[in-house]
Amino acid sequence: MALELEYDRSLYGKEHEAGPFEVTEDMIISFNQSISQAGPCYNNKDAAVEAGYRGIIAPPTLCTLFVRRVQLPDINLKFGKTRFHGGQRVQAKAPIVAGDSISASSHLKEVYAKTGRSGTMVFIVWETTFTNQLGEVVADVQESYAARE
Amino acid sequence: MTNDNQIYFEDVELGDEIGPLEKVASDQGVIDFCTLWGNPIPNRFTSEEEAAKAKLSGPIVPGVMSMSLMAQLITDWAGPAALKDLDVVFRQPVPHNKPLIMTGTINDSRQEDGENIIQCDVLMTGTEGERYIIGTALVSLPSRS
Repeated sequence: MALELEYDRSLYGKEHEAGPFEVTEDMIISFNQSISQAGPCYNNKDAAVEAGYRGIIAPPTLCTLFVRRVQLPDINLKFGKTRFHGGQRVQAKAPIVAGDSISASSHLKEVYAKTGRSGTMVFIVWETTFTNQLGEVVADVQESYAARE
Repeated sequence: MTNDNQIYFEDVELGDEIGPLEKVASDQGVIDFCTLWGNPIPNRFTSEEEAAKAKLSGPIVPGVMSMSLMAQLITDWAGPAALKDLDVVFRQPVPHNKPLIMTGTINDSRQEDGENIIQCDVLMTGTEGERYIIGTALVSLPSRS
Protein backbone atom coordinates (compact mmCIF):
# COMPACT_ATOMS: atom_id res chain seq x y z
CA MET A 1 0.00 0.00 0.00
CA ALA A 2 1.37 3.40 -1.00
CA LEU A 3 2.41 5.65 1.86
CA GLU A 4 0.11 8.67 2.16
CA LEU A 5 2.52 11.57 2.68
CA GLU A 6 1.41 14.54 4.71
CA TYR A 7 3.13 17.85 3.89
CA ASP A 8 2.36 21.34 2.66
CA ARG A 9 1.41 20.79 -0.98
CA SER A 10 0.54 24.46 -1.42
CA LEU A 11 4.29 25.06 -1.88
CA TYR A 12 4.21 23.54 -5.36
CA GLY A 13 4.42 26.19 -8.05
CA LYS A 14 5.92 28.84 -5.78
CA GLU A 15 9.32 30.30 -6.60
CA HIS A 16 11.69 31.47 -3.86
CA GLU A 17 14.28 33.91 -5.12
CA ALA A 18 17.64 35.16 -3.89
CA GLY A 19 20.58 37.13 -5.16
CA PRO A 20 22.06 38.41 -7.29
CA PHE A 21 25.34 36.96 -6.07
CA GLU A 22 28.56 38.45 -7.36
CA VAL A 23 31.05 35.85 -8.54
CA THR A 24 34.53 37.29 -8.13
CA GLU A 25 37.96 36.02 -9.08
CA ASP A 26 38.81 35.84 -5.38
CA MET A 27 35.76 33.68 -4.71
CA ILE A 28 36.63 31.27 -7.52
CA ILE A 29 40.26 31.03 -6.43
CA SER A 30 39.29 30.46 -2.77
CA PHE A 31 36.85 27.77 -3.88
CA ASN A 32 39.60 26.15 -5.96
CA GLN A 33 42.03 26.22 -3.04
CA SER A 34 39.57 24.57 -0.67
CA ILE A 35 39.05 21.63 -3.03
CA SER A 36 42.56 21.62 -4.60
CA GLN A 37 41.10 22.41 -8.00
CA ALA A 38 43.86 22.92 -10.53
CA GLY A 39 43.46 23.87 -14.17
CA PRO A 40 44.51 27.05 -15.98
CA CYS A 41 41.02 28.16 -17.02
CA TYR A 42 39.90 28.05 -13.39
CA ASN A 43 42.91 29.91 -12.00
CA ASN A 44 44.51 32.12 -14.65
CA LYS A 45 42.67 34.87 -16.49
CA ASP A 46 45.03 34.94 -19.47
CA ALA A 47 44.69 31.20 -19.97
CA ALA A 48 40.91 31.41 -19.68
CA VAL A 49 40.69 34.27 -22.19
CA GLU A 50 43.01 32.41 -24.56
CA ALA A 51 40.67 29.43 -24.33
CA GLY A 52 37.77 31.65 -25.38
CA TYR A 53 36.13 32.59 -22.07
CA ARG A 54 35.35 36.11 -20.83
CA GLY A 55 37.54 35.52 -17.76
CA ILE A 56 38.39 32.89 -15.16
CA ILE A 57 35.62 30.33 -15.15
CA ALA A 58 34.15 28.73 -12.05
CA PRO A 59 34.21 24.97 -11.55
CA PRO A 60 30.78 23.60 -12.46
CA THR A 61 29.72 23.02 -8.85
CA LEU A 62 30.52 26.50 -7.51
CA CYS A 63 26.87 27.53 -7.79
CA THR A 64 26.01 24.96 -5.09
CA LEU A 65 27.50 27.46 -2.60
CA PHE A 66 24.52 29.73 -3.24
CA VAL A 67 21.71 27.18 -2.97
CA ARG A 68 21.28 27.54 0.77
CA ARG A 69 21.18 31.31 0.55
CA VAL A 70 17.66 30.92 -0.78
CA GLN A 71 15.27 31.02 2.18
CA LEU A 72 13.21 27.89 1.74
CA PRO A 73 10.11 27.21 3.79
CA ASP A 74 9.56 24.10 5.90
CA ILE A 75 7.29 21.74 3.99
CA ASN A 76 5.92 20.40 7.31
CA LEU A 77 6.47 16.80 6.36
CA LYS A 78 4.89 14.48 8.92
CA PHE A 79 7.37 11.67 8.58
CA GLY A 80 10.61 10.55 10.17
CA LYS A 81 12.85 11.73 12.96
CA THR A 82 16.15 12.00 11.08
CA ARG A 83 16.92 14.10 8.02
CA PHE A 84 20.05 14.19 5.94
CA HIS A 85 21.38 15.41 2.62
CA GLY A 86 20.61 12.47 0.37
CA GLY A 87 21.86 13.60 -2.99
CA GLN A 88 22.54 16.43 -5.35
CA ARG A 89 22.45 17.07 -9.07
CA VAL A 90 24.12 19.87 -10.99
CA GLN A 91 23.26 20.47 -14.62
CA ALA A 92 25.72 22.95 -16.06
CA LYS A 93 24.18 24.99 -18.88
CA ALA A 94 26.82 27.65 -19.48
CA PRO A 95 30.12 28.64 -17.86
CA ILE A 96 29.97 30.93 -14.81
CA VAL A 97 32.69 33.55 -15.28
CA ALA A 98 34.40 35.86 -12.78
CA GLY A 99 32.50 39.13 -12.81
CA ASP A 100 29.14 37.44 -13.34
CA SER A 101 26.17 38.28 -11.19
CA ILE A 102 23.88 35.29 -10.76
CA SER A 103 20.40 35.04 -9.37
CA ALA A 104 18.74 31.98 -7.88
CA SER A 105 15.14 30.82 -8.07
CA SER A 106 14.10 27.68 -6.17
CA HIS A 107 10.94 25.62 -6.11
CA LEU A 108 9.76 22.39 -4.57
CA LYS A 109 10.19 19.80 -7.31
CA GLU A 110 8.87 16.63 -5.72
CA VAL A 111 8.36 14.68 -2.52
CA TYR A 112 8.31 10.90 -2.75
CA ALA A 113 8.75 7.79 -0.64
CA LYS A 114 11.03 4.87 -1.36
CA THR A 115 11.21 1.60 0.54
CA GLY A 116 14.40 -0.44 0.66
CA ARG A 117 16.15 -2.92 2.92
CA SER A 118 16.58 -0.33 5.66
CA GLY A 119 12.93 0.72 5.63
CA THR A 120 11.06 3.62 4.13
CA MET A 121 12.61 6.99 3.40
CA VAL A 122 10.96 10.12 2.09
CA PHE A 123 12.86 12.37 -0.28
CA ILE A 124 12.25 16.11 -0.56
CA VAL A 125 13.68 17.58 -3.75
CA TRP A 126 14.21 21.31 -4.28
CA GLU A 127 15.30 22.63 -7.67
CA THR A 128 17.20 25.90 -8.09
CA THR A 129 17.80 27.62 -11.40
CA PHE A 130 20.70 30.06 -11.65
CA THR A 131 20.60 32.86 -14.22
CA ASN A 132 23.40 35.30 -15.02
CA GLN A 133 23.22 39.04 -15.67
CA LEU A 134 22.70 38.37 -19.38
CA GLY A 135 19.53 36.42 -18.66
CA GLU A 136 21.27 33.17 -19.55
CA VAL A 137 20.52 30.09 -17.43
CA VAL A 138 23.91 28.87 -16.22
CA ALA A 139 22.91 25.92 -14.03
CA ASP A 140 20.10 23.91 -12.52
CA VAL A 141 20.77 22.33 -9.14
CA GLN A 142 18.60 19.73 -7.44
CA GLU A 143 19.12 19.03 -3.76
CA SER A 144 17.53 15.99 -2.21
CA TYR A 145 16.93 15.68 1.52
CA ALA A 146 15.96 12.32 2.96
CA ALA A 147 13.79 11.73 6.00
CA ARG A 148 14.13 8.38 7.71
CA GLU A 149 11.75 6.68 10.14
CA MET B 1 38.69 25.07 -26.80
CA THR B 2 40.95 22.10 -27.23
CA ASN B 3 44.52 21.30 -26.21
CA ASP B 4 47.12 18.62 -26.79
CA ASN B 5 45.69 16.39 -24.06
CA GLN B 6 42.12 16.74 -25.27
CA ILE B 7 39.99 13.60 -25.23
CA TYR B 8 37.77 13.28 -28.29
CA PHE B 9 34.43 11.57 -28.67
CA GLU B 10 35.95 9.06 -31.10
CA ASP B 11 38.65 8.12 -28.58
CA VAL B 12 36.33 6.60 -26.00
CA GLU B 13 34.56 3.26 -25.89
CA LEU B 14 31.94 1.75 -23.67
CA GLY B 15 33.57 0.25 -20.61
CA ASP B 16 36.53 2.64 -20.65
CA GLU B 17 37.55 3.79 -17.21
CA ILE B 18 38.15 7.35 -16.04
CA GLY B 19 40.63 7.98 -13.25
CA PRO B 20 41.34 7.01 -10.59
CA LEU B 21 41.70 10.45 -9.09
CA GLU B 22 42.74 10.59 -5.45
CA LYS B 23 41.96 13.56 -3.23
CA VAL B 24 42.03 14.31 0.48
CA ALA B 25 39.65 16.77 2.15
CA SER B 26 41.84 18.29 4.86
CA ASP B 27 40.51 19.89 8.04
CA GLN B 28 41.63 23.28 6.77
CA GLY B 29 40.11 22.67 3.34
CA VAL B 30 36.74 21.93 4.97
CA ILE B 31 36.99 25.05 7.17
CA ASP B 32 37.83 27.17 4.11
CA PHE B 33 34.97 25.64 2.16
CA CYS B 34 32.47 26.22 4.99
CA THR B 35 33.64 29.83 5.32
CA LEU B 36 33.08 30.44 1.62
CA TRP B 37 29.76 28.60 1.77
CA GLY B 38 28.59 30.82 4.62
CA ASN B 39 28.07 27.97 7.05
CA PRO B 40 28.88 29.32 10.54
CA ILE B 41 31.83 27.62 12.24
CA PRO B 42 31.96 25.50 14.36
CA ASN B 43 29.56 23.05 12.79
CA ARG B 44 29.29 19.29 12.27
CA PHE B 45 31.71 19.58 9.35
CA THR B 46 34.48 21.21 11.38
CA SER B 47 34.06 20.27 15.04
CA GLU B 48 34.19 16.98 16.97
CA GLU B 49 31.66 18.31 19.49
CA GLU B 50 29.16 19.48 16.88
CA ALA B 51 29.58 16.22 14.97
CA ALA B 52 28.87 14.24 18.16
CA LYS B 53 25.70 16.27 18.71
CA ALA B 54 24.61 15.19 15.22
CA LYS B 55 25.43 11.55 16.19
CA LEU B 56 28.37 11.39 13.81
CA SER B 57 31.62 9.65 14.68
CA GLY B 58 33.59 12.75 13.67
CA PRO B 59 33.42 15.84 11.45
CA ILE B 60 32.42 15.02 7.91
CA VAL B 61 32.98 16.58 4.51
CA PRO B 62 29.92 18.57 3.33
CA GLY B 63 28.03 16.92 0.49
CA VAL B 64 28.47 19.96 -1.73
CA MET B 65 32.23 19.82 -1.16
CA SER B 66 32.40 16.07 -1.84
CA MET B 67 30.51 16.65 -5.05
CA SER B 68 32.97 19.37 -6.04
CA LEU B 69 35.84 16.91 -5.52
CA MET B 70 33.97 14.38 -7.61
CA ALA B 71 33.44 16.84 -10.46
CA GLN B 72 37.21 17.11 -10.83
CA LEU B 73 37.36 13.50 -11.98
CA ILE B 74 35.49 14.64 -15.08
CA THR B 75 36.95 18.12 -15.61
CA ASP B 76 40.54 16.86 -15.21
CA TRP B 77 39.83 14.22 -17.84
CA ALA B 78 37.65 16.02 -20.36
CA GLY B 79 38.21 19.76 -19.87
CA PRO B 80 36.92 22.63 -17.77
CA ALA B 81 33.52 23.05 -19.42
CA ALA B 82 32.89 19.43 -20.43
CA LEU B 83 30.75 18.38 -17.47
CA LYS B 84 27.07 18.79 -18.36
CA ASP B 85 25.33 16.90 -15.61
CA LEU B 86 26.48 15.32 -12.37
CA ASP B 87 23.89 13.48 -10.32
CA VAL B 88 25.09 11.90 -7.08
CA VAL B 89 23.75 10.02 -4.07
CA PHE B 90 25.52 10.39 -0.75
CA ARG B 91 25.73 6.82 0.55
CA GLN B 92 27.67 7.42 3.76
CA PRO B 93 29.50 10.26 5.51
CA VAL B 94 32.77 11.28 3.85
CA PRO B 95 35.64 11.61 6.35
CA HIS B 96 38.35 14.26 6.60
CA ASN B 97 42.04 13.52 6.05
CA LYS B 98 41.59 10.17 4.32
CA PRO B 99 42.23 9.27 0.70
CA LEU B 100 39.09 9.61 -1.41
CA ILE B 101 39.36 7.66 -4.64
CA MET B 102 37.21 8.65 -7.56
CA THR B 103 36.63 6.56 -10.65
CA GLY B 104 34.28 6.50 -13.59
CA THR B 105 33.14 3.93 -16.15
CA ILE B 106 31.70 4.91 -19.52
CA ASN B 107 28.39 3.18 -20.13
CA ASP B 108 26.87 5.06 -23.06
CA SER B 109 27.78 7.44 -25.85
CA ARG B 110 25.36 9.26 -28.08
CA GLN B 111 24.71 12.42 -30.03
CA GLU B 112 22.12 14.67 -28.46
CA ASP B 113 21.06 18.14 -29.62
CA GLY B 114 24.18 18.38 -31.75
CA GLU B 115 26.53 17.45 -28.90
CA ASN B 116 28.65 14.34 -28.44
CA ILE B 117 27.59 13.01 -25.07
CA ILE B 118 29.34 10.42 -22.94
CA GLN B 119 27.49 8.96 -19.98
CA CYS B 120 29.40 7.38 -17.12
CA ASP B 121 28.89 5.90 -13.70
CA VAL B 122 31.01 7.66 -11.11
CA LEU B 123 32.06 6.46 -7.70
CA MET B 124 33.91 7.81 -4.67
CA THR B 125 35.37 5.15 -2.40
CA GLY B 126 37.75 4.89 0.54
CA THR B 127 40.87 2.76 0.62
CA GLU B 128 38.94 -0.09 2.28
CA GLY B 129 36.33 -0.03 -0.46
CA GLU B 130 33.82 2.12 1.44
CA ARG B 131 31.34 3.48 -1.10
CA TYR B 132 30.84 7.09 -0.11
CA ILE B 133 29.19 8.50 -3.23
CA ILE B 134 27.70 6.95 -6.34
CA GLY B 135 26.33 8.75 -9.34
CA THR B 136 26.09 9.44 -13.01
CA ALA B 137 27.78 12.06 -15.15
CA LEU B 138 27.07 13.36 -18.63
CA VAL B 139 30.07 14.77 -20.45
CA SER B 140 30.26 16.65 -23.73
CA LEU B 141 33.30 15.86 -25.86
CA PRO B 142 34.50 17.45 -29.10
CA SER B 143 34.69 15.42 -32.28
CA ARG B 144 37.84 14.92 -34.34
CA SER B 145 35.87 15.62 -37.49
